[in-house]
Amino acid sequence: MSERAFAVVGLFDSPDALLRAVAPIRAASLGRVEAYTPYPVHGLATSLGLKRSPVGGMVLVMALLGAATALGFQWWVAAVDYPITTGGKAFFSWEAFVPVMFEVMVAFATFTAGLAMLLLLNRLPFFGHPMLGSSVMAAVTRDRLALAIEKDGDVELDATNARAALEAAGAQSIEVVALPAPSQPASARTLGWMLGGIAAACLTSGFLTYWVVKLFPVLPPMVHMLQQPRINPQSQNGFFADGRTQRLPVAGTVARGYLPYAVANADEADRLVNPLPRSAEVLARGRRAYSTFCSVCHGPLATGVGTLSSAYGAKPANLQSQTFRDYSDGHIYDVIMRGKNAMPSYAEDLSEDERWAVIHYLRALQRAQNAKQEDLR
Amino acid sequence: MAADPVALPAALRPQPLVIGEVTPGVLDDQVLSHTETRPPLKWFVAVTFTSMIATLGLALLGYTVYQGIGIWGNNRPVFWAFDIINFVFWVGIGHAGTLISAILFLFRQRWRNAIARFAEAMTIFAVMCASIFPAIHVGRPWLDFWLFPLPNQRGMWPNFRSPLIWDVFAVNTYFAVSAMFWYLGLLPDLASLRERARHPLRRAAFTILSLGWRGTAAHWRHFEKAYLLLAGLATGLVLSVHSVVSFDFATSIVPGWHMTIFPPYFVAGAIFAGFAMVIMVLIVVRESMNLKHLITERHLDVMNKVLLAMACLMGYSYMMEGFTAWYSMNPYLHHVFTQYFFGSYGWAGWVTVTCNVFLPQILWWPRARRSYPLMILVSLGVTVGMWMERFVIIVISLHQDYLPSSWHLYRPTLVDFGILLGTFGIFFTLVLLFARLLPVIATSEMKMDLPGAQPTHAGATHV
Amino acid sequence: MTRWTQMATVVGALGVAAALAFVEPQRFWANWLVWFLFVLTIGLGALFLVALEHLVAAQWSVPVRRCAERVSSLILPVVPIALIALLSLPTLFHKWTGAEAAHHPVVASKAVWLNVPFFAARLLLCLAAWLAGYRVLVSGSRRQDATSDPRFNVRARRFAPAFMALFAISITIVAFDWISSLDPEWYSDIFGVYVFAGTFLAGLSATALAVASLKQRGRLPEVNEHHLYNLGGLLFAFTVFWSYIGFAQYLLIWYADLPEEVVWYKLRIQGDWGAVALLLALIHFLVPFFALITGDAKSGLGRLRRVAALMLFAHLLDLYWLVFPSLGHGVLASWPELAFALMFVGGGLLWLGRAFGRGPDMPIGDPFLAQALEFRR
Repeated sequence: MSERAFAVVGLFDSPDALLRAVAPIRAASLGRVEAYTPYPVHGLATSLGLKRSPVGGMVLVMALLGAATALGFQWWVAAVDYPITTGGKAFFSWEAFVPVMFEVMVAFATFTAGLAMLLLLNRLPFFGHPMLGSSVMAAVTRDRLALAIEKDGDVELDATNARAALEAAGAQSIEVVALPAPSQPASARTLGWMLGGIAAACLTSGFLTYWVVKLFPVLPPMVHMLQQPRINPQSQNGFFADGRTQRLPVAGTVARGYLPYAVANADEADRLVNPLPRSAEVLARGRRAYSTFCSVCHGPLATGVGTLSSAYGAKPANLQSQTFRDYSDGHIYDVIMRGKNAMPSYAEDLSEDERWAVIHYLRALQRAQNAKQEDLR
Repeated sequence: MAADPVALPAALRPQPLVIGEVTPGVLDDQVLSHTETRPPLKWFVAVTFTSMIATLGLALLGYTVYQGIGIWGNNRPVFWAFDIINFVFWVGIGHAGTLISAILFLFRQRWRNAIARFAEAMTIFAVMCASIFPAIHVGRPWLDFWLFPLPNQRGMWPNFRSPLIWDVFAVNTYFAVSAMFWYLGLLPDLASLRERARHPLRRAAFTILSLGWRGTAAHWRHFEKAYLLLAGLATGLVLSVHSVVSFDFATSIVPGWHMTIFPPYFVAGAIFAGFAMVIMVLIVVRESMNLKHLITERHLDVMNKVLLAMACLMGYSYMMEGFTAWYSMNPYLHHVFTQYFFGSYGWAGWVTVTCNVFLPQILWWPRARRSYPLMILVSLGVTVGMWMERFVIIVISLHQDYLPSSWHLYRPTLVDFGILLGTFGIFFTLVLLFARLLPVIATSEMKMDLPGAQPTHAGATHV
Repeated sequence: MTRWTQMATVVGALGVAAALAFVEPQRFWANWLVWFLFVLTIGLGALFLVALEHLVAAQWSVPVRRCAERVSSLILPVVPIALIALLSLPTLFHKWTGAEAAHHPVVASKAVWLNVPFFAARLLLCLAAWLAGYRVLVSGSRRQDATSDPRFNVRARRFAPAFMALFAISITIVAFDWISSLDPEWYSDIFGVYVFAGTFLAGLSATALAVASLKQRGRLPEVNEHHLYNLGGLLFAFTVFWSYIGFAQYLLIWYADLPEEVVWYKLRIQGDWGAVALLLALIHFLVPFFALITGDAKSGLGRLRRVAALMLFAHLLDLYWLVFPSLGHGVLASWPELAFALMFVGGGLLWLGRAFGRGPDMPIGDPFLAQALEFRR
């Protein structure tokens, strides 16, 4: 029987008895000495020679790391990546970053304490320990204190001597915990099923997530923002008689700044006089307007050859010809307002000032192309 | 040589924390058996009742998500009302549990052992109820993930300079830390339940939940250190979480909100309201679960003394608020404080002060600290008073602030009331479920301090 | 040692007399105020500690309670110091005592509170409350040495809550009257809590320093590392508490940025005073926090002594930083400040030397002393 023993456990009835037994059992060197108690017993860990727990140091390091991470992250977000002005506060407002920094520090520290204690130091969860299945465990979690001599690595446990040593040390009762049968390694088939199952689960959840995320915004109430009691642009509706959604303004609506053009035809326009002075600013303004709107067809020198001339069938007028040099200012104004032949109206493109400035500029162009000797003086 | 108890006057004699002969085995049987046996009829009646209320609350919450915040009473200018009152209320209730299990642990107050477990559970349930409100009070709750700093293709981050984001971090951290602290404390008890379980499914469940805990000396050494550290960290949270909640108000310039005393005042109020709730649950637990010898009159006495101390702190805070409001010579602050007691909602101010300061003063009288009717009256009063205090702070300050043309009354709707009631239903349903599924007393912690549990040469006194 | 202290005190007193003659009155009285507050907060903080121990019926603290009681005897010399401090009202507090206050609307409307007679009356009431507390708690404890009558404990426990109420109101009055009213337009309702935190820490540090000093001289042999651990733990916890209160006040005032509140901080965090503020954060929070964070550090005798001494200096710096910027100058640290330091530190040490020389080092008549000496954490 002794070849199959994992541990020989002595149960004690008082903490003093347990502590007294630790030294002789350790001295006997019959195996690994382990104590099992339902609550922490003062002085037990020290007498077993256990070192101090490093949890404290780990928590301190991770806490500082958490604080630094939180501060650094907030700095980067607020001062580098997404700097927005709120309440007149500086982008890097360290005061405002302290609360989150503190909370993240505590969170890092907490998870370190809990997870380090469990996973790293106590190596839990672990469901395969031989003691878990034994009858000793029930007593040990209830009210008994136990000292166990356990199998140390590959060295066989001498159960008889262990039992004698524990009895000599004052154990009230002795239990032997058998070594569990060695567990079979997982067969290739089992592994295959497991991996296949995991892969299937991943694929399914991936697709499900994708479809759910696509579907989600069109479910009520998320879709309520889209389903509003209003008529959408470019759609038909039953509200208006003609079924149109885009409506024209009421007849007679006047745009802001609109002044009616009171001239009936080109001959009447002759009486219009250019109200702007022929100053450098006006000419500059006229040049800008001319370059923008007129030169594409009439050309930069008003010769009728512009960048778009070749694209059109109709020929833009050569404004340097005598006909147009003889036009009055008002006549040109009228052409700008009404259009002429293929030229559309430019009334919406040019303000009134701009139209007169263009006319000044055009006159300057005409004079420049037909310069006389006196102009040079 | 300990002081001879007979020679001491009665007032100085220490009252026992455990009445009668209690051995660790007996303790296990008395406490753990509640999780192993069929609950009595009154439990089923109670849980049915609370579940119905919880269902009502959940239905109204669902209705709110569907219809929008318009079905609440929030309006211009009272943009925050029952939603935030309930949030602050429930987060506050949670703080008592953390104080009892963490701070009293650090101060080595042994009386805390018998009540720490369910107090901590109450914290977790209270924080769960609280977190409903920030989630639900935004116009589009399905976009709540925008509150978290998750990388996204909108190119946006949350505004870390806002107290509302600090809240997100604080409450989430509080929940995580409380849950971790509670669960770790449960591990040895889960191991006990595992060993006592006879049904294979129950045994398997507790094996997994207990993570295979064996109680070796090494286990306990690391466990004790981690538990101490977690207690210290949780203590920091008790101060910081409700302070961050108070920052929601105190960082603003709404008259009556920007008072620098808000952080400690809110923390004191939270502990106050939480203790009142714990006392009420404590009474029910000790009576209905035959645990009067473990949750003794001394426990009730001390809890009520803490409640009284907190009531005095609240009195100090109200006095400071009132004095500073006058001293500031700020006309807006003067107006709001007048409104607190003599305005349209002036009754709320009086209810607050009466329930929070005047009523608990009867606890100076030792008989009151042992009398169920008086205790329950005071605790109920405190619960109502603390809720009303948040009402006073939020609604009265908002409904008449700087611009008179914006002044408007606030009227809560039935949905508001229904959701508040529903959270009580959720909370008490969870408490009732906890009482029958998990040990309400931390048996391993109690066993540690029973007579004869520790070796004599290591010192017997833990005062 | 005592000879040096006596000589230093006399030199200091001469320096103070010279300062009275040659230094501008505001600066003289600012020094007097800082030292008045320093001695007061140490004594009152120690008395609060004694009352707290009775309130919660703490037993671990019985062996160290006599040290706290002796430190609290500083309240007795505080009475004449406080009465002399009343002479500072016309100069140091001129913003509300001076003639110009009547023309300042905000200050004038506070005149029902901020006027000399009521101010003085409040001070007298506070002194009376503190003396009453001293009589019941400390004199009663001394008497118990001879009588061993446990009824003192009953009386002290019954009185403690009343003392707490008196303490809360009186420390708030000290904070608002003697520090906050230097800038009468400013207000902050957490200020009483802030001064309380500093007061308790001062009393605690002085007690811890006294205990550690006595132990290093071979006295208090039965006070063990477990008692020291609790003292260190309290120091650690209340360092965090003070820092939390100080930061909370700063954060809220910074965040809302209201002119009437910010002006107080502007004076204290800009320029020279900003450097002092940083130093304060360092020695009042960072250094003690990290120095006391480990369990060993809290119970180490030498460590406790050094940290306690540092914290007393930090508390002095805190009071200096609270009071002096209101004068409107930069950092003032020259021979007048040194003279005051010599006189008050020397005088305080002489007073405490006498207090610690009389009677037993522990409350030998306390029925819980024996149990407390066996305390294990």
